[in-house]
Amino acid sequence: MSWKIVHIDLSQDIPALLSDNNIHVVFWWRHIPLAHTEILATQLPMPATQVTNLAASAITPTVGTYVLKQNLLEDTPIDFEALVGSTHPLTKLEYISQQHNNKTVSIVICTRNRPEQLARCLQSLQNLSQPSHEIIVVDNAPIDDATMQVAKMSGVKYVKEPRPGLSIARNTGIRHSTGEIIAFTDDDVVVHPDWIMRLQQAFDDPKVMSVTGLVLPGELETEAQVMFEKHLGFFNFGYQPKTYDSDFFQSTKVFGAPVWRIGAGANMAILRQAVNLVGEFDERLGAGAAGCSEDSEFWYRLLAAGWICRYYPASVVYHYHRGSVDSLKQQMYCYMRGHVAALLVQYEKYNDQGNLRRLFRTMPKWYIKSFIKGLIKEYKFSTFFAEIAGCFSGIIYYIINYKSPQPPLIRGAKNRLLSPPY
Amino acid sequence: MSYLIKDIEVTQPFPTISLSENNTGLALILRRKDRPIGFVMQALPEKSVLTSDELTQIITKEVGKKILEESLKEELKVKTANLADFPSLTVAICTKDRPDNLTRCLNSLLKLQEKFYFEILVVDNAPSDQRTQDVVAALPTVRYVREPKPGLDFARNLAISTATGEILAYIDDDVVVDRQWLDGLKEAWAENPDASAFTGLILPFELNTEAQILFELAGGFRRGFEKIRYGQVLPGNELYPCGSGIFGAGCNMAFCRDMLIKLGGFDEALDTGAPLPGGGDLDIFYRVIRAGYVLVYEPRYLIYHQHRRETAKLRHQYWTWGLGLMAFIIKSYQSDLPQRKNLRRLILWWFQYEFDRLKQSIKGKHPLPISMLLAELWGGIVGLWGEYPRSVKRIEQIRRQYS
Repeated sequence: MSWKIVHIDLSQDIPALLSDNNIHVVFWWRHIPLAHTEILATQLPMPATQVTNLAASAITPTVGTYVLKQNLLEDTPIDFEALVGSTHPLTKLEYISQQHNNKTVSIVICTRNRPEQLARCLQSLQNLSQPSHEIIVVDNAPIDDATMQVAKMSGVKYVKEPRPGLSIARNTGIRHSTGEIIAFTDDDVVVHPDWIMRLQQAFDDPKVMSVTGLVLPGELETEAQVMFEKHLGFFNFGYQPKTYDSDFFQSTKVFGAPVWRIGAGANMAILRQAVNLVGEFDERLGAGAAGCSEDSEFWYRLLAAGWICRYYPASVVYHYHRGSVDSLKQQMYCYMRGHVAALLVQYEKYNDQGNLRRLFRTMPKWYIKSFIKGLIKEYKFSTFFAEIAGCFSGIIYYIINYKSPQPPLIRGAKNRLLSPPY
Repeated sequence: MSYLIKDIEVTQPFPTISLSENNTGLALILRRKDRPIGFVMQALPEKSVLTSDELTQIITKEVGKKILEESLKEELKVKTANLADFPSLTVAICTKDRPDNLTRCLNSLLKLQEKFYFEILVVDNAPSDQRTQDVVAALPTVRYVREPKPGLDFARNLAISTATGEILAYIDDDVVVDRQWLDGLKEAWAENPDASAFTGLILPFELNTEAQILFELAGGFRRGFEKIRYGQVLPGNELYPCGSGIFGAGCNMAFCRDMLIKLGGFDEALDTGAPLPGGGDLDIFYRVIRAGYVLVYEPRYLIYHQHRRETAKLRHQYWTWGLGLMAFIIKSYQSDLPQRKNLRRLILWWFQYEFDRLKQSIKGKHPLPISMLLAELWGGIVGLWGEYPRSVKRIEQIRRQYS
């Protein structure tokens, strides 16, 4: 069953809901997304007052994080004075992070034979509230010049990269860019007008080397899209800002630091300086190579070196998930393949045993458990076997490509790789 | 053994609270701008003193998130019905031989009636003397009617035909209404003018005996501090609306009178007093939802209920609840064929739930002693064992006797 996506700006009159479909409601305060909630078709129509009550309860944790700088969900002590004294917390949201920095932003879109989607993405970039320094389309191993036509039409910088692979394309994009911040997005997204402004704001500390943002679903029309969004949850990492620093890294290292939780490559920015510090994206990883995880492996290196990654969900893009279950299977295969390869690459670079522990203990255990659960509870194994196959393929891929050339480290970077930055 | 009950306004500086030598704990009724937002009980050594800092800690932990939620709700713009259009209201109190309780209850209502007029109707149910009538006779703004047929739902049904208000609110005689009670009902209506039934929050009037404390520790009549609008489905609850205890309790509920008439009123074979003293509220909530109406739970629609003081009476009460629930299920099983599967599952669920609680109690991890849980379980078995059909026959006899 398909879901209708409804965006409700709570600063306006709150509407009643009416639809024949299930509704995926995203609550916003002006341009800041605060929560989503699912409303089933059988609950409809729903009067505005009930929508309001649902909204209030759903958005409270996020508002707490922004306004009180405290996570109300965790067991941390809350400053009571601030809590009771906070009148008009929602209005205060408008004043969060007003400090701008002057860092220039280059937008890099890596694309491969999807000119129509690219055109939609470029179209959305016309509406940015804060224009970027430049937009670069990296055309990755194209079969024709359709992509070039689209790029030329919208007047953005066009670079052709004949060697296939997302990491390669990203690195090419970095080399051709001139901004201090490099913001990446994919061709299958549409960006929010504040996308760049918010990303830029989150580089508010010299130690922040990468910022990721929220990826909301563009549509939930097909079963695969619904499954991808609601059951796999690779994209939506919540509405509360999070900071990943060396404390996070050190405390989770033994189990394999869960760097994939930091964000998604479809909405990520890095400082150019970061590439100088820890090197470029590993060309063995990423779509077109191992499958994915070139982004998380990059964050792994940043965190290992003591830098900070921020998840700042006020920066939003909308992703159009794959439409069919077959392509979803393919995607899951690639994800697991890339994930496993990334664990091995991380181990290779840093000797952190946690990566192996995750690969050979945590993951097999989890898959056996979910297999047994699936047998008992009629779980749909739609992507299960594809995932397992992906895991094995990831190991094989890593072994075969072990000796392939490492990404060139920019001069002077190597010796700084492990030294603390401050 | 008693708990001190304190009203705390979270927007004001907190007092220092000193327990007396009789106190074994503290219960806080937390309010923000006078709206109830939380309730917390804490066992404490006698004569202990809680500083405002310690209070702050307890309160933040309990209602930290809720305070922010209430505060941001004030900023949300939503259209509600105009309070000036609030329909006429009758508050009915069904009582039997408890003039002292009734007086206390009426006093709390009269305070609200001074500001906003509504009809107060006392239904005197098969009284054994004149005392109830005398209490009402002294109060010019309270009406009195007598229902000679013994049985709470006879009395409730008489209220339906006697009341003049469009909305008919029922409260028991052993409650006291909160100063926000009426505003709560009005607010629930303004937010849900299409709703046909309302239930509210029930907090303890006193916690002076072990039985009262036990009952409240086990959850009491509380149904939370969130507004809930109940329609035809409740996501995550497969047995909905069969487990109709979630909606509220009979000592604090209100209905559109027209709807009650359409539904045929309360089932007089339930709530008859011994031997089937319960289930009437479950039954009416269930029928309201099953007939397609909307029921709204509103925490600001708050009353205080005086729980059973004696442990033996509380045990009996638990027996009653088990019995009433099963009688209601058996009745619905016969009258509501499409829900049979869910009702069967509800029975299974309930026994499993009771056994789980028993297990916890044996391990000492549940506030209720084993005897209470066994009483409830036994009540449930008796209820399954044909108490409802027997009650129907008894009721027929009472009707004949008084016709």
